[in-house]
Amino acid sequence: MDPRSLSAIQRDALGEVGSIGAGHAATALSQMLGMPVDIDVPDLQVLSLPEVPTVLGGPENLVGAVYSRLLGDLGGGLLFVLERDAFLHLADLLRSRAPGTSKSLGAAEEATVTHAASVLLSAYLAAVARLTELSTLPAPPEFAFDMSGAILEGVTTQIGLKAETAILVLTRFCTLETSVDAALFYLPDPDSLDVMLGRLGVL
Amino acid sequence: MSTTGDIGGLWAAPDDLTVLVSTGEIAVAVHPQRLVTPALGSCIGLTLWDAFNRRGGMAHIMLPSPAETRLGGLADRFASVAVPRLAEAVAGGAPRYRLVAKIAGGATMFGGDAGMASIGVRNAEAVKHELGLLRIPLLAEDIGGTHARTMELYLDTGLVVVRSYRYGIREL
Repeated sequence: MDPRSLSAIQRDALGEVGSIGAGHAATALSQMLGMPVDIDVPDLQVLSLPEVPTVLGGPENLVGAVYSRLLGDLGGGLLFVLERDAFLHLADLLRSRAPGTSKSLGAAEEATVTHAASVLLSAYLAAVARLTELSTLPAPPEFAFDMSGAILEGVTTQIGLKAETAILVLTRFCTLETSVDAALFYLPDPDSLDVMLGRLGVL
Repeated sequence: MSTTGDIGGLWAAPDDLTVLVSTGEIAVAVHPQRLVTPALGSCIGLTLWDAFNRRGGMAHIMLPSPAETRLGGLADRFASVAVPRLAEAVAGGAPRYRLVAKIAGGATMFGGDAGMASIGVRNAEAVKHELGLLRIPLLAEDIGGTHARTMELYLDTGLVVVRSYRYGIREL
């Protein structure tokens, strides 16, 4: 299905799924950190893939990304993207350090954020699966830190060159002291999008 | 998410003379213009240059051939379509033997996942194959690895500048 041909009701339904998913991800994050994490979903969009780099600050903007391919009833991929500063910020949060401690990206930061993102993606996916009563599993997470345009390219070729829609949930994780902005993309392949809309009763 | 324009001054600011080539497109330009394609991941940036006319073209190639996908879209994102078409457009009736080629890109952005992980390598092979069929010499390449690249072609000297966060500026 062409994302531009989605009706308003279908967009709302997909948006609702995205925001419930983000809520589950926040719960997972607060369990990991051992402190309350609030979630704010300032923006929710259904985009066509070529529009995605513009959301990420242009194709050459430096971002950290964690990607999981989906297996099972729903195909496609989940992409968790943070801008460079937000990425280091999240690494600090996860390692219980004062925000701003991490100045550069090392193996430790990479591993910490990759694992955390993997948990967040799984939580998101669990919410989607429960809502739609479909079973779907994430493949092991893969990490990249580079230009947003190139990362997106890598992702679209990996989901079998079929995805053309991205459901974007701009997410702000807020703890008592600080907040981190992240973007969570669900990139369903066209068949899975139909299946999902069918399960939500809005096909 | 905020948009950060200034990212360390590594990137030449676009001006009126910059011709931007987006993913899956081809473009032709004449000096003093210059051709730029941003954020090559597994894609291949191909430049063809005609020294005599100081004229050149650039393609941002995503996949080896139309057999790879069942989606519609730009035909110029395939190596098998874009390379001959670009050669035709740059030569524009002039003899094609004057053209020289340079390529960049073909990286693996995400490792692990088998199959599509090698798409960058296959893209590079497909472009070289097409260049061979057209008998266009490949003068230089900066391909492979795991990092993204931005490619720029200056049409007076045929200089190709490849920029990346990992290695900074490389000249081909």
